[in-house]
Amino acid sequence: MEHVVLGIDGGYPLLVLAWLAPLAGAIALWAFGPRVRSLGGPIGAAICGVAFLALLPLWNAATAIGSHAYLFSTHSNGIGAAGASAVASYSTNASGANAAAVSTLAGIHQSLVSWAPGFTFGLLLDRLSLVWALVITGIGFLIQVYSIGYMTGDRAFARFFAYLNFFVFAMMTLVLSDNFVGLLVGWGLVGLASYFLIGFYFDRPSAVKASRKAFVINVVGDIGILFAIFLMFAAVGSAGYGDVFANVAKLSPGMLFAICGCLFIGCAAKSAQVPLHTWLPDAMEGPTPVSALIHAATMVTAGVYLIARCAPLWNASEESRMLVGTIGGITALAGALLGLAQWDIKRILAYSTMSQIGYMIMGVGVGAYDAGVLHFLTHAFFKAQLFLTAGIVIHALADQQDIRLMGGLRTRQPFAFWSMTLGVLAICGIAPLSGFWSKDAVIYGTLERGYPALYAIGVLTAGITAFYMFRLLFVTFFGTYRGAIDPSSLGIRHPELSGQAVEPAHDHHEAHPTSILMIAPVAVLMIGTIGAGLLWIAGWRDFFAPAFAGAPEGHGAVFLPELGSTILVTAVVLVGIAIAYVRYAAPAALREAIERLRVETVRMPAPLAHAFYFDVAIDALFVKPAQALGRLAGTVLDPLVLDGAVRETSIVTAWLGHLARSFQTGLVRAYALTLVVGAACFVAYYAFGAVR
Amino acid sequence: MIAAFCILAPIVVGILLFALPRTSSVPRWVGVGIALATLVALAANPNASDATLRWLQRPFTASFHVGFTGPGYAIALLLALVTVCALVALNAPRSRDFTINVLFLEGAMMGVFLAKDLLLFALFWDLMLVPVFLTLVGWGAPHGRSAWKYLIYNFSGGLLLLLATAAYGAIYGTTDVIGAATLPIPAFPGAAATATPWILAGFAIAFLVKTPVFPLHTWMPETYADAPSQLAAVISSVQSKAGIYGFLVIGLPLFAPQMHGVAVPMIVLGLIGLVYGALAALVERDVKKIVAYSSLSHLGLMLVGIFSFDELATRGVVVYMVAHGLFSAALFLVLGYIEAREETRDLARLGGIAAINPRLAGALIIAALAALGLPGLAGFAGELLILTGSYRAGLFWPAAIALVPIVIAAAYMLRAFQGTMQGPRVADLPERRDLTWLEGLALAPLVAALAYLGVNPAPIASLALGAMHTLGVAAR
Repeated sequence: MEHVVLGIDGGYPLLVLAWLAPLAGAIALWAFGPRVRSLGGPIGAAICGVAFLALLPLWNAATAIGSHAYLFSTHSNGIGAAGASAVASYSTNASGANAAAVSTLAGIHQSLVSWAPGFTFGLLLDRLSLVWALVITGIGFLIQVYSIGYMTGDRAFARFFAYLNFFVFAMMTLVLSDNFVGLLVGWGLVGLASYFLIGFYFDRPSAVKASRKAFVINVVGDIGILFAIFLMFAAVGSAGYGDVFANVAKLSPGMLFAICGCLFIGCAAKSAQVPLHTWLPDAMEGPTPVSALIHAATMVTAGVYLIARCAPLWNASEESRMLVGTIGGITALAGALLGLAQWDIKRILAYSTMSQIGYMIMGVGVGAYDAGVLHFLTHAFFKAQLFLTAGIVIHALADQQDIRLMGGLRTRQPFAFWSMTLGVLAICGIAPLSGFWSKDAVIYGTLERGYPALYAIGVLTAGITAFYMFRLLFVTFFGTYRGAIDPSSLGIRHPELSGQAVEPAHDHHEAHPTSILMIAPVAVLMIGTIGAGLLWIAGWRDFFAPAFAGAPEGHGAVFLPELGSTILVTAVVLVGIAIAYVRYAAPAALREAIERLRVETVRMPAPLAHAFYFDVAIDALFVKPAQALGRLAGTVLDPLVLDGAVRETSIVTAWLGHLARSFQTGLVRAYALTLVVGAACFVAYYAFGAVR
Repeated sequence: MIAAFCILAPIVVGILLFALPRTSSVPRWVGVGIALATLVALAANPNASDATLRWLQRPFTASFHVGFTGPGYAIALLLALVTVCALVALNAPRSRDFTINVLFLEGAMMGVFLAKDLLLFALFWDLMLVPVFLTLVGWGAPHGRSAWKYLIYNFSGGLLLLLATAAYGAIYGTTDVIGAATLPIPAFPGAAATATPWILAGFAIAFLVKTPVFPLHTWMPETYADAPSQLAAVISSVQSKAGIYGFLVIGLPLFAPQMHGVAVPMIVLGLIGLVYGALAALVERDVKKIVAYSSLSHLGLMLVGIFSFDELATRGVVVYMVAHGLFSAALFLVLGYIEAREETRDLARLGGIAAINPRLAGALIIAALAALGLPGLAGFAGELLILTGSYRAGLFWPAAIALVPIVIAAAYMLRAFQGTMQGPRVADLPERRDLTWLEGLALAPLVAALAYLGVNPAPIASLALGAMHTLGVAAR
């Protein structure tokens, strides 16, 4: 069987180092955590920094692209064959447009192991995985530095960094794999890291429950990818990216749609797309740096990565683009609507994450891969910044997360205020901050490719986003501090109406001064929040043009020019901000803030307060029936039906059992005797037989 | 000769151990030593030659013929390793007698997995039930009827196996056929045509009971729950593979056409067990029974893999047999540690142990993750290969249905882990000491093997390939 590998095969020790260093760090910190204690944080952060630095020298090799294709083929057992000879065989094995699409995914490739024919493993660093790997290790490093300050004094300080390093390793496995099985391994391991970190405070029942929910829903996604692997293996005999992409032309449209659909189940679970999103808000049970790194910047964008990686599949399947674009749009809107109804600062950010990932999925789904990937990058900066800023606020207020009990923090925490303001402006897409460029590109990308309905959703969602993010900003930082007043005057006695947990988080219960270790990483992230979007006009599309060759282009017949669209989106955003201002920050609103918040709390529309009843539905449709069937099996069928037949025999032999128990003491000896006698009989029989 | 050594050495040493005082701790370490010797002997001699001793001439030829078949070699390695770990972890009273039983069990099971003669296979099959029975009687839960249930079910199966073997020998003239390159020509072709399906039925029922497969499984949860954990580790890990192994090295090569004929009902039974076990584990409160039901589920998957008649799936079955052996042994050993400390297995009465015993929690989560098929550990590799192969072989619905229990497995394994280890500490549980280094040592090789095979299952998978030409599987 011909085996097609993407990238130039060779030995890249730096790539292996960047991949495995976090694993080594995780194991070491896990095993020796209690010994290294407060050194655990610096060690963990340093290892992540090393991984980041190890990637930099590989930039040129990973992005080099020549006039010829770096696609090579070899026999499946010929791992490690020289790239040069392999390039020569390129023209003989791949053909036509798909080969072109594949061949331009150049990069570097390191072979690892082979399980069986078709299941070979290696690392692939190309433009796409490079961007992800740099964000994972770079932002991972910043957040670990921040965590040194945030987690100081925690009982399991070193274990926390062990988990973070394990997460970085798992995420690197996900993005560096050169095949779907390796991707799935990373996919499962990031789910595990997420599980550990959501349930970090494992003495809290809510954290335990949330972590299990996140893990199980993510396994639903895993089996989606698993089934896609079955389909691909049956169709092309391999799970390698190269093999699959080179054979796209051979797949029927129905098969392509099935593969993309199954892969998308994985994306939906990991990236919190409707209807598999319910774990993400609950995942806020984890410490805030975890929410920033895993549940905002990196892991939850794995679905975006997978679709961008599988661009050759999506390019060839119009139905898949329609499906994924639509789900992305629905998620963007649903996340924004649910963000309206939250009072917990982290849950607001969680729903905004869901909504923003909806944008990314919508972008890559319809074929605007470069826009979707840019939104991933800018979102990684501004959402990490928002979460870390929220962490600073929470940390300073002794773990208060309810924004109704905040207010007036503008003067008390000026750094947090300005950082939050910057992040909010960026997520709303105010020019020239990073979010403006990427969100605009995604929204206009849908219109360009002929999805006006998605375009409308994108514009509407931008307005809602502006409203609820400014609501967060105004309620938290404007007016007067409400932390000392009776919560019931804000309507907080009705948790069932507000649809959220009102018990404060219990990281550690005392207020903390903000350490420089927490401020510095946020300051670094600000650079990206302000400037990352400029990449869009600094050659981003050209950089990715080879990776996404063959992507569906615009239809040309667009009724709205790009500038017009930008003006429209900005106008809608400004309207959202204005409404938020009138409701929450205008002088009149601030005077009666407490009454307003109380009324809003009590009168929250039920569908929003119950998050559109997704949890209830999943419970009623899957969890309850499974438990009922299990009870039927374990307590009715097994003992009463299946066992009934043997029941009679058991009663008959009950007296035998009695007899046996009375022999117990001498039993082993009796048994040994039996064995010896039996063996003697065999020997005797054998001797007898031999004589005859 | 290595095979003969692995069978006889534990039994002989076991008998010699009777000479030592009953309360001594020496026998246990002698047991560890001899189990380790079998492990080293196996690992160092993957290509050892067979040992044959002619034994019967009439009415058919039979031999004391032992040696390695590919899958048998894999399970023998597993057996030796698990025996070592179980004896290192031993915390039952009367350790000399317990050790003797475990050694007899090792020898007898070595006989099952290394026999290349059907009659020998059948005799060892019955022999391996005895030490388990005696251990259940001597060390099991008081008033438990699991020992008798175990014996009744499995001896019934064993009897059928013996009858089927005798019939096979009578018709084909020899029973020296396991792993043979060529199949015997029946001495009585007419009788062969009529009797062969019945002979397969005899074998199959014995295998199905032993595995066990729904609806013949009800002896298993009680046996595993009653058995002392070190014994449960050995039998859930290795003895439960006897049936699957039987299908693999006896069913497929000797009865290929008949096996194809019963594929559909077998796959259906496997799937029912797969889903049924998972659902039952989801609500069970006894942690050992949760693992028992999960075994039912996992063994159902192996049955599906065998009856897909696909090369990849067959490789997957061998990998999954070893993987399941490793993680179920690890699970039962850890549950044994917990039971010895807390004196209960009821999820409702456990909780929050991780706060006091973090290392114990770490041990349990690793075993639980391997069991729920975490990618990167050996169980996942087995599941992936089995299901990909099954799907490729045209089993669309079985492959799709088999994915559902993977989700349920995540739920019940985490429920078991979190129910014991996490959440608020249950008030009336006294503080116990954390995992000792000896207890950790017993788990370390199992965990290392799970991780290694999770990254690279090829060494085990290729053992399936070694015997593939005799497996009746169409190689692609």
